[in-house]
This record gives sequence, C-alpha cells and structure tokens, in this order.
Amino acid sequence: MMANALRIAGRYYSIPLLLVVWQAAVASGLIESRLLPSVGRVFVALDRDIGDGVLPYHTAITLSRAALGFALAAIVGVPFAAAMARSTLVRNLFEPIFFFGYPVPKIALFPIFTYIFGIGSPSKVAFAFLECLYPIVVTAYLGFRAIPLPLIWTAENMGARRATLLRRVVLPAALPSIFTGLRIALPISIIVIVLTEMIGDSRGLGYYISVSSTRFEFADVYAAILVIGACGFVLDRAMLWLRHTVLHWEPDEETGAVL
Amino acid sequence: MRIPVSVQHWIVPVAVLAAWEAFGRTGLLPHYLPAPSVIAAAVVETTRDGELPRAMAISLFRVSIGFVLGAGSGMLVGLGAGLVPGIRNFFDPLVAFLFAVPKIAFLPIFLLLFGLGNESKIAIVAFSCFFPVFIASRHAVLSVSRHVIWSAQNMGAPPSTMLFRVFLPAAAPQLFSGARIGLAHCFVLLFAAELMGLQGGLGALIVDGDNAARFDLMFAAIVTFALLGFLGDRLLMAIRHLVLRGQIVGTMEQLVR
Repeated sequence: MMANALRIAGRYYSIPLLLVVWQAAVASGLIESRLLPSVGRVFVALDRDIGDGVLPYHTAITLSRAALGFALAAIVGVPFAAAMARSTLVRNLFEPIFFFGYPVPKIALFPIFTYIFGIGSPSKVAFAFLECLYPIVVTAYLGFRAIPLPLIWTAENMGARRATLLRRVVLPAALPSIFTGLRIALPISIIVIVLTEMIGDSRGLGYYISVSSTRFEFADVYAAILVIGACGFVLDRAMLWLRHTVLHWEPDEETGAVL
Repeated sequence: MRIPVSVQHWIVPVAVLAAWEAFGRTGLLPHYLPAPSVIAAAVVETTRDGELPRAMAISLFRVSIGFVLGAGSGMLVGLGAGLVPGIRNFFDPLVAFLFAVPKIAFLPIFLLLFGLGNESKIAIVAFSCFFPVFIASRHAVLSVSRHVIWSAQNMGAPPSTMLFRVFLPAAAPQLFSGARIGLAHCFVLLFAAELMGLQGGLGALIVDGDNAARFDLMFAAIVTFALLGFLGDRLLMAIRHLVLRGQIVGTMEQLVR
C-alpha cells in the first residue's frame, strides 16, 4: 500500500511540483500576476466558467465540429485506402496526391476554405476533414498493402467470395493500421478546430481563448487550455479502449509512447 | 493500349489544374479563385519587386530557428528521458497532458511574454516542435533491443561508447520520424502565428492580399508557403537518407518516401 503510493508519487510528482513552483513564483512577485495568474485563480476561473455554462457551451461546439470532421474523414478515408490498395488504377491516380501532398502544410489553404465554405462551422469541419484524411488514408493504405498475400490466396482457394474475403480477411488484417491512423487523426481534428476558431469565429474554445486573451483575462485562457488538454486525453484513452475491444486478438499499442 | 504508370501519376493533378485554368478563363469561378496562370503571374510580379522573397526569408528564418531549437531540445531531453528514469518520470506526466493541447492555444501568452516580433513566433514554433520530437526520441531509446545493450555492456563498453555506438545509431530512424512530425508542426504553428501575430512573413502577406481583395497575391503567398513546407520535408528526408544509409531497406520507412 505504502510502496504503491510512493511509486505513484514518484511517477506523477512533476505536475504538483510545477504547480507549487508556479504558485510560489506568482506569490513572491517574481512574475507579474497579470501575465501569469496564480494556480488558485486559474482553478477559480475554471470552476466559475464551468458553473455558468460558458466553457461547456464552447467545448460542446469545438468537440462536435472536430467529431464531424474526423468521422467524415474516417468514413471516406478507409474505403478510399482500400480501393487504392486493391486497384492499380486508383492507386496510380491518387498515390502521388497522398504521398506528395502529405508534407504540404495544408493550413495554408485555410483562407481559401473560408471563402468557399464561409467563416462558420462548414469551413472548419471541411478543413478538419482534409487534415484528418491524410493520416487516415496513408496509414490504412499501408496496412491494406501489407496484408500477406498467402492469407488472401488461402481464402480464395477455399472458395471465399469477394465480400467474404473483404469482411473476414482483408479488413481484420488491416484493422491495426486503420486504428493507428485514426489515433493519429483524432488529436489533429481537435487541434485544427481550435486553431481555426482562433483565426476567426465567434464560438468554440479557440474563440474563447483569443477573446479572453484580448481582455487580459489569462486565468480564463488557462482554464480553457486545461479543458482542451482533458478532452484530448480522454478521447485518446477512449480510442485506445475501442482498439483494445475491437482488436482483442492484437497486443495493445503503447499508450501514446508516454505513461 | 496501356498508359505508363508515370503518366497515370500526373493525370489527376494536371486535370485539376487544367479545369481550374479553363473555368478561371471563362469567368465561371468566383472572384476569390484566380486561375493558375494569374497566380503564376502574381508570383513573378511579387518576386520581381522583392515582396515575396522578403516575406519568405522572414518565414524561413523563424521556422528554421524554431525547428532547430525545438527539435534539438526535444531530442536531448527525449534521449535523457529514455536513458534516465528520473528524467522520464519528471517529463512523462507533463508531456502526456500538454501533448493533447493545441500549442497555438499558448500563442496569446507567448505574444505577451515575447512581444509581436520574431521572438514569440520562434518560441511557439520551437515549443510545439518539442513534443513530437521528445516522444519519438524517448520511445526510440526505450525500444533499443535489450540484447544489443547487453552485448555491448558485456564487452565492456564505457558509457560514451554505449551512447554514440549503440543508442544513437539504433534510435536514429525514429529520431528522424520524430523530427519529421515536428517539422510539420513547425509550419502549421508558424502559419497560424503569422496570421494572428501580423508582423511580416508569408502569413502576413496572405492577410494583406485578403484584406486588399488581391486574391492573386494571397494565392501566391499560399503556394509559396505550401512549397516551403514541402521542400523542408524533402530536405529533412534527404539528410535522413544520407545519415541512415543502408538502415532503412525493407522497412515500412522505405514505403513512406
């Protein structure tokens, strides 16, 4: 019991330690408290903003946009990756777009998105879709390509029809890669939505951060950052749980390479 | 008749560009989508009067310094965290929390701390680059095969040999993967910071073109920025290719060119 508590303390001491240092630095006047509000004030702001419904409101908007963009990218991306892997024509037509387009910073296109889709939700969802599509398609495609051919031959030899082959052999074999892609794309969707909300909107957590900072209410900025961090953490864990449940035959992916 | 693969690769991009050009010429496209030829003319024009090269130099300066600082510190701390449990325990909870936060959320704070100029942009670029590089480096060291480590130790390798002859070479491919993700983050952050911070650079040029309804200018800056990101990635991959000669044959790494 005691050893366990010590072990946990040894692993997580850095967060409370930094909070104490932060509080001490602000309290002693080393850092101007207007720039860096004390830990206490951040938690007061967090409590107040959650209590009066402001943070839940903006969080719901940000998360629903991110979820929509992510879901669209998954629904379009995975079948598209399968088509690219199975058909030479589709592969030759689209492979360069995905492999050469991958390192292009797509954020540069966002101003155009605001013209085409307007400044509200649609442009942000469309942009999150584009940003999520790349990792989903590329990792799923590599997964579909990496299926050992003997597996497919064996199934075909035993008379499996195309639909059976897809459902019972190809899809299960590619699922680990599909999940890897989804897991990369999930935080991207949140990042992209918050970022575009900061560039221009009147709703969402990104907007809340930028408007609070122009009002010099930095406790609110930190409160919003805490909420985003918590959402990202919970969603990543949910994705891992889903992977664990669906891929019960596979060893678990390392949890984010940290923790 | 079969179309050669190399030609097939070009069909979609060329078709899109041709359709864009054709629709742009006939005036069917909205005014905010100038034809590719108009954009090319804007690139030439702004290159001649020096506006584009100047903005590009500013952006390039910020992103390269930010990348070097962020990737360098990420690698150092990540290697340290992989080798020393104490360092690992200190950084793991912090990174686990901060990793999921869009780093751009800290921009207002960085702007206040470092001002509107280069410093705040470089700082936020480096800050966001740190995390993926840290995670990849930490993971790289921890996944070095035990047998390799044991063999080297068994043969009496001193710590410096362990580091330079065992850990670094074994971790190098993953260090590059981390740096590549970090570089992508750098460009995203730089763009957003320039768009909001408005002090020179390609992002500011895009906002200028947008405000003046000079969409050809806006697109010229967008194309330049996209190209910069692409070439940066290519440069990093070329360096990786030189450093990792013979190490990546037959791996997944080879597929992702």
